Amino acid sequence: MSIAPNPQQLTTWLIAAGKRDASAFRSLYDATSSKLFGFALRILHKQELAEEALQEGYVAIWNNAVNYQAHLAAPMTWMATIVRNKAFDVLRRSDDTVEIDADHFDSEVMHALQDPQATPIESLQMSGDAKALAYCMTALEGMHRQVVALAYYHDMSHSEVAQQMSLPIGTVKTWIRRSLERLRACMMKREQT
Amino acid sequence: MNIRHNAELRQKLSSEYVLGTLKGGARRRFEGWLHDDAALRRITAEWQQRLAPMAEFSTPVAPRKQVWRNIERGLKLRPAPAAWQFWLRESLTFWRSLGIASTALATLLLVVMMSNTLAPPVISDVAMLSDGKTGTALLLTADRGHGTLEVRVIAAAPVASDKSLQLWAVPKSGNPRSLGVLADNGRATLALNQRAIGADVSLLAVSLEPRGGSLDPNGPSGPILYTGNWVKL
Repeated sequence: MSIAPNPQQLTTWLIAAGKRDASAFRSLYDATSSKLFGFALRILHKQELAEEALQEGYVAIWNNAVNYQAHLAAPMTWMATIVRNKAFDVLRRSDDTVEIDADHFDSEVMHALQDPQATPIESLQMSGDAKALAYCMTALEGMHRQVVALAYYHDMSHSEVAQQMSLPIGTVKTWIRRSLERLRACMMKREQT
Repeated sequence: MNIRHNAELRQKLSSEYVLGTLKGGARRRFEGWLHDDAALRRITAEWQQRLAPMAEFSTPVAPRKQVWRNIERGLKLRPAPAAWQFWLRESLTFWRSLGIASTALATLLLVVMMSNTLAPPVISDVAMLSDGKTGTALLLTADRGHGTLEVRVIAAAPVASDKSLQLWAVPKSGNPRSLGVLADNGRATLALNQRAIGADVSLLAVSLEPRGGSLDPNGPSGPILYTGNWVKL
């Protein structure tokens, strides 16, 4: 089981990749591709589609690495954003309809979110940022968490989420707004301590 | 609409932009504001930082090796080897040729040792160059004591009258070093120095060049015909 890669090391590789250092790019790929492939699979469910998104994602990472600004985003954040956008591109291009399941997080994380005592978030293989977010998500109500996850993983609009969850659109809007406010407050508080 | 002074709205729009629920015209309008509002860009970056770790909530899955190969091929990350780096392109042939060379070495050693007893020059090192298929083509003998390097043809293919054979020492890093152009009869007596036999020399090679030698100062311009390596006696 790999240990969450050190963000400083990732930044160094990403900056080197921006200077056309192919071996640094390879190291970056080796350290991050499993995480990002897991993420792409989460969005797309099908292996071939997820591979397509991952491939296009890393091509874009290489091509844009020179524009990466370390003070604006952690390397994983920056790369995950690119892979997510590519996954949605792949989704829009493909004729396949992706199944949308109720369980939006993998069971390990889900258990930790639902019952932090049984599965301590600290024990998960995630970066510090991800642990902070997971911790703050445990403070949200289950349904609210699900609404946020639907929007994030499936690129859904308010009305699509409402339809999926059989909820009035006003409710979805309110839940999303409140959830995001709470997440922000929770994460700012954690940063200060 | 002016959102510059509405802190709450700025947070709400930034967060929904990152989450993805801000869509259509509202999204495009927001991107327009982002363009000329550095503070808004910073707020949005903070939201990216907060929400993007959701990517890590999935179990890591190793992608197939094919994915990296496709990326590498698509981006042309492996530079085509320079003309003289033939062993990168034809590594199998190269290693086979080393194999043949070492088999033939036993025979050669005997010859050299016999000649040693007859002639006063003391041969300190030998190299047998071959094309990897038909055995030894050229024999190099070095005399460290006298600082000379003798090249003799054993069974090299005939060379056209407008061509020459050129001998190179290929270092572990950097460009090949020309040791000299062979005479038409394939013989040459050259000075032996570190350029030819230094510890950094990883390979000896003979290339087919225009008469008089390669015009490229950085290495052979023609095909590599024979390769081999020094063996210290």
